[in-house]
Amino acid sequence: MEKRDRILIIDDEEVVLDSCLQVFGSMGYELATARDGTAGLELMKEFGPDLVLVDLMMPGISGFEVLEAMRRQDPTVVAIVITGYSTVGSAVEAMKKGAFDFLPKPFTPDELRVITARGLEKRRLVLEAIELRREREMLRENFAAIVSHELKSPLGAVQQNLYGLVAELQDQLSDEQLARFERLKKRIDDLIKLIQSWLRAVSVPVAKIKESFAPVAMKDVIARAAETMQPHAVRKDITITSTVAEGLPPVLGEEGSLTEALVNLIGNSIKYTRAGGQVHVTAESANGRVRVAVVDNGVGIAPEDLPNVFGDFYRGRTAPPTESGSGLGLALTRRIVEAHDGTISVESEVGRGTTFTIDLPAWNQANQSVPTAAKVSSTRDPGDRT
Amino acid sequence: MSDKKQLLIIDDDPDFVDGIKSILTKAKYEVDVAYNPKDGFAKLEKKHYDLLLLDIMMGRGAEGVMIARKMGRDAKLREIPVLIITGIREQIAFLFGSKTLHPHFVETDEMLEKPVEPKLLLDRVERLLKAGTAKGTKKA
Repeated sequence: MEKRDRILIIDDEEVVLDSCLQVFGSMGYELATARDGTAGLELMKEFGPDLVLVDLMMPGISGFEVLEAMRRQDPTVVAIVITGYSTVGSAVEAMKKGAFDFLPKPFTPDELRVITARGLEKRRLVLEAIELRREREMLRENFAAIVSHELKSPLGAVQQNLYGLVAELQDQLSDEQLARFERLKKRIDDLIKLIQSWLRAVSVPVAKIKESFAPVAMKDVIARAAETMQPHAVRKDITITSTVAEGLPPVLGEEGSLTEALVNLIGNSIKYTRAGGQVHVTAESANGRVRVAVVDNGVGIAPEDLPNVFGDFYRGRTAPPTESGSGLGLALTRRIVEAHDGTISVESEVGRGTTFTIDLPAWNQANQSVPTAAKVSSTRDPGDRT
Repeated sequence: MSDKKQLLIIDDDPDFVDGIKSILTKAKYEVDVAYNPKDGFAKLEKKHYDLLLLDIMMGRGAEGVMIARKMGRDAKLREIPVLIITGIREQIAFLFGSKTLHPHFVETDEMLEKPVEPKLLLDRVERLLKAGTAKGTKKA
């Protein structure tokens, strides 16, 4: 049986409650009423409404406070504000605070029915969107499992047999035959690595990264990432330099994944910069943000390609044909940055170079001992898993 | 009885097993094979092995883990070193699963990812066999 929509009405005027009950009486909703904000919020917990009609002007706590408490409890519940004509201004204020719509008193039964139907429709859409997002995440995870098992296992078995055959036949094979075996192993090895990087990119467990957040000095992260990419740079005669502002505040994050993000950006710059070029990493802070930029003087990205660079499997058309890649490094980087409540952006000019900028919230010891994002995800997680 | 070390492989991918087995046989080990956890455990109970090479993801899930746990509860089987050979998916489960699996294994455990290069494989097998012997003499 279809679940009936639940409506909670909070108003201190008996006559408003009564007329609402009468209008809704035969419409198949489950109804609850409260005479003031405190009782209303209490009911909200046990009743679990889809939609709340709340009077703005009540004795005790105001409608505004009810709205705010409601949003904290469950932001998907739709709120409609009931208000006298004289307080239309505050109704607008309430909508800015997240109310879906307002209903001026006195209202006709039809007005109440229409606004309620619209509010419930909105609630359905919100819940649907959440469900779709959850399904998309599940698809992503399942895809990772399929890629891993269906592609990587057979390749692993083939590779293991090449290893075995070489060991068995070592004494009987000519040098040329052994070299061919080596090339085969290398080809399969490349394929396995490619699958692993795809897998990694689609299955970064963002919520898990958040669990191990700690203050991180970007100076160390930059140094480590630059060191990791140094061999690649040397091979192409590219120099990596960095400038880190004095007294740069730490960011709250997971050091390993932040390093990976930076390794990807520097690696990308090296890939798209000609021999003899430069990659420069800067870090500075302003307005409670830490900004890390990776600047190169490479081939650049065409304007029409810019919006796509952070998408899955995207590979630039300006890529030198000799460079190979999974097309996932930047997508992975974006996902890591977003897990840190940060943003990533790119500016580029063809023939002049490209700048990737990561913008992260600085860690503020005084008011940020536990990240709010982590709190939100931990309260929601159990539900998502079941 | 031969002096050769007795190894058992439990893995549900026969092709992968062939690749591993040929390397170990060439290195003069005596190798038995079981293609599912049930046969594998039966073999472990019937014959003495010096080392077990164990796949994790078999059948409907991480059935290899069940074998390792069952061995941990058996006073004799507990002494056999276990080399876990696993694909990437399992590794993700190891890193991000709700609980870490390692404490359930015996202390000489090692984990390798598929495919395993011959040199690395033989090196680990040899090391675990040595550790296993040392453990056995200490107990005696």
